[in-house]
Amino acid sequence: MAIGLRRRDFLAAAGATVAGAALPWSPARAASTEIVWSTWNNLGLPDYIDPFTKETGIKVDQTYITTDDEQFARFKAGGAADVDVFVPGQWEMSRYIASNLVQPLDLRKIPNAAHMYPVFRDNALNKKDGIQYSLPYYWGINTIVYRADLMDEKPDWSVFFKGDKYKGKLAMRDYAVEGIMIAALYLGIPQTEIFSMDDRQLAECKKALIAEKALLRTYWTSIADLTNLFATGEVVCAFSWLPPYYDLTKRGIKMALSLPKEGVPSWCDVLAIPAGVEGERLEAAYKLVNYLLGPEYGLKLAYGGPYAQSTDLVRDKLPPEQQERIFIKDPAVMDSFVWPQIPRRYNEWVTMWNEVKAS
Amino acid sequence: MDGGRTFLAATVGPVLVALIVLCLAPLGVLLVVSFFRVDFVSIVPDPSLHNYAQVLSSGSYRYLIAKALMSGATIAAITAVIAYPVAFFIAKRIREVKAALLTALLIPLYTGDLVRIFAWRLILGREGVLNSFLIWTGAIDRPIETLLFSPTATTIVLVYNYLPFMVLGLWLSFETLDDHLFEAAADLGAGRTTILLRLVLPLTAPGLVAGALMVFALVVGDFITPQLIGGASGVTVISAIADLFGAAFDWPLGSAIAWTLLVAMVGVVAAVVVILGRTPWGSAAFGRG
Amino acid sequence: MAPGEGGQAPLLAGRGLHKRYGAVHAVRGVDISLSTDRYVTLLGPSGCGKTTILRMIGGFETVTAGVIALDGRPLLDTPPSRRPVNTVFQSYALFPHLNVADNVAFGLALRRLPRDEIARRVAEALQMVRMDSMGARRPRELSGGQQQRVALARAIVNRPRLLLLDEPLSALDRKMRKEMQIELKDLQRRLGLAFLHVTHDQEEAFALSDSIIVMNHGVIEQEGDPETIYRRPSNAYVADFIGGSNLVAGKVVACAGGEATLETAFGPARAPCAPGVAVGRRASLCLRPEQLVIGVGGSLGGTVRHTVFQGADWLVEVAAGSAALRVRCPDEEPPAVGGAVSLRYDPAKAWIADGALAGDA
Repeated sequence: MAIGLRRRDFLAAAGATVAGAALPWSPARAASTEIVWSTWNNLGLPDYIDPFTKETGIKVDQTYITTDDEQFARFKAGGAADVDVFVPGQWEMSRYIASNLVQPLDLRKIPNAAHMYPVFRDNALNKKDGIQYSLPYYWGINTIVYRADLMDEKPDWSVFFKGDKYKGKLAMRDYAVEGIMIAALYLGIPQTEIFSMDDRQLAECKKALIAEKALLRTYWTSIADLTNLFATGEVVCAFSWLPPYYDLTKRGIKMALSLPKEGVPSWCDVLAIPAGVEGERLEAAYKLVNYLLGPEYGLKLAYGGPYAQSTDLVRDKLPPEQQERIFIKDPAVMDSFVWPQIPRRYNEWVTMWNEVKAS
Repeated sequence: MDGGRTFLAATVGPVLVALIVLCLAPLGVLLVVSFFRVDFVSIVPDPSLHNYAQVLSSGSYRYLIAKALMSGATIAAITAVIAYPVAFFIAKRIREVKAALLTALLIPLYTGDLVRIFAWRLILGREGVLNSFLIWTGAIDRPIETLLFSPTATTIVLVYNYLPFMVLGLWLSFETLDDHLFEAAADLGAGRTTILLRLVLPLTAPGLVAGALMVFALVVGDFITPQLIGGASGVTVISAIADLFGAAFDWPLGSAIAWTLLVAMVGVVAAVVVILGRTPWGSAAFGRG
Repeated sequence: MAPGEGGQAPLLAGRGLHKRYGAVHAVRGVDISLSTDRYVTLLGPSGCGKTTILRMIGGFETVTAGVIALDGRPLLDTPPSRRPVNTVFQSYALFPHLNVADNVAFGLALRRLPRDEIARRVAEALQMVRMDSMGARRPRELSGGQQQRVALARAIVNRPRLLLLDEPLSALDRKMRKEMQIELKDLQRRLGLAFLHVTHDQEEAFALSDSIIVMNHGVIEQEGDPETIYRRPSNAYVADFIGGSNLVAGKVVACAGGEATLETAFGPARAPCAPGVAVGRRASLCLRPEQLVIGVGGSLGGTVRHTVFQGADWLVEVAAGSAALRVRCPDEEPPAVGGAVSLRYDPAKAWIADGALAGDA
């Protein structure tokens, strides 16, 4: 899923909050075979998890995440103590590590991790000082989605920043990290520098973003919102998550994706174990992590999500069109991934983003 | 009539108690945090006025705060103008269907924010009901783009959202207004305009002020509507604060903006009370002037 | 007085006034005439149409039929705000957001009089109602009697041709009401202004009025000075409503020279009669309680049913045939309850009024 508020609209988020509240926040821990997993509400469906419980006798209670930011704030406020396994965004691992909220992982207890695609296995965002704190879990891309019936050409990032052919028909996500990252990609700032840009580079981005604002119909805040904008023709092209592409194609609207050559923003959710989990619960947590990276779960996710796991254990079991659908038919796509991360000067980024919007 | 002060006391009193209990404690925390600073993911208790300096020296934050106050005042004024005759009509001209009318008036409040907002998008959109209708009638030949995702659109939807609060406040004032006063005024030589200006307006001022304060505060706090209806210009100071708290984990700066906004709001309200208090209208609203 | 009669037009003349509210016919053909300098009371039970007439004159009710003229000029096309008439409302209707002085100044300020003249006249009016020290108070800080005085001052300060008072004392307690009656009368004399006062309280009407108009069911039953109304009621309704008279119904068998003979259950009775009384009509012998004397050889006999001590005297109720007669007894000891008594009266002071009350045989 994407960073921040993921592929969820406000209503789903609200529903999840209600569901989460209905669950006991600190489930009874009498049995050592019961652990708590903080996750998105579409990842732990009963038929995904029941085989695990049947096989290991470990019962998995779930609490649902509404946004990455909400989960982080909850953990900072002590909520981590109630959780045994959780699902942060890879982009934000640095703040969990810096806050000492996660524990180093013992990869010997996660045999499935050995089957990870290299781009995930080697990703530095899961490590600090060479120590592995989290493991990529499943992933996807966020890119340009457009109404092929209403646009004459395949757009790239420049459509948001120059020319006025589509002025007033574009949308950008209202999220500082992605918004500024895309401006940096468009400006050709090297990917290694994007999240540690200096003042001059930030000023350049700001200029581009102010130009972008004049071309936008609106900033979108939830994917249901954006889907609605596409469907009603208010917006013909947006930096988007994939659901509008799937949903509207299904409804007969000619939608298309564009993967810009300057780089494709990718997202990856990871699995991590809070600091403080130990003993039997820790062993159970490791078993769950291993299961979630394994083929039985992966097969359900490939069709259900549909999402690709970080491991290649199910790739060969999928027909080509399903591989295509979750972007694993040609693994070369992974070479153009751009991984967002917490910018070094995050609060300045957010401030700048608001300055752009207020300009 | 004991109206003025009693009415204000009755409406504001319990609200005040609830505010103190529910809001003051968190506000206190915010105030303390606003003097600290953030270092990546830690809040460092290293008191300084740095955050306030940043808020006040930033054109964007000053602009956003001013925009919020202006928006609150504008919507309060527009709703007042619309609600005034509506409230009068319901209170003084309707007998049998009064309850039904009041309930109908509250319907917007029963539906969720998002339902209302998406309904308005259907009406105001490029291919929405209004544009389609205008094109059909031949009044325009291309859709009016600025009906949606513009400050105008935000104004329309905010007025729609908060009109009930204004009507309810005014309706109560009109209900308690003694019709004999109008006869007495006419008897003493007052025409319709004089009665409106010198009697009805001052005597409904408590409702007007209560309604305006409610609408003002609610509009300043509403960031969803501008965000989803206002288009690229839909940023609000509240959403900026939310970004700082949620995304950037910069509680100190967010708190400082929040407190600056709060002080500015209290300033506006105090100014209104002082200015109004010097007029006969205000003396009706706030007791002895 | 009709125009031409006596050479002077009345201050106010209403002719053939009707008011219908849907099916309700509240005022049915009322003629009313007021002259300057007089205190006139419209008296009647609630719903008799008296307030409606007042409100027609004030301009707060439309007139279904009829005309009203003030100083000989038609009044009905003039809106209330331009009629040279002011009203004291039952609820006082003081403006709650203005202090006493501003309430009183309201009408003058609308006429754009000079500031100092307004101040002078307001002070004068407040002094007249003995409220001169209260100018800065708010209405809610005043007692009922004080509010009443302010309402009066607010009306008279405009120097109207006619002052209308709609049950102005009904919200006051008895003691305050008595005081205000004296003040109202006094005020009217000093101002030399015509007052038209609506009330349902006949004591109040007697205390105040130069002339009383008794109304019932939307028509005027009788008009006259208090003594006439009291002593010579034109019909049984007025006699009953005003004096608490004992009414003995009967049939007129003879009528001449202002006297009539009435055949009653107690035998024939002869007494002065009201103008409408005629042979063959039903009429009522009016015997006020103080006209009856308990003694021997009276023409009426009965049994004492009960006695009520009233301070100055006793009220004795005597059962005579099917009737119950009330008698004032000035003696220190009233007759014993259950005892037989004989009642007499002076026929020259009795009165025969036209008609009989419903239910009286």
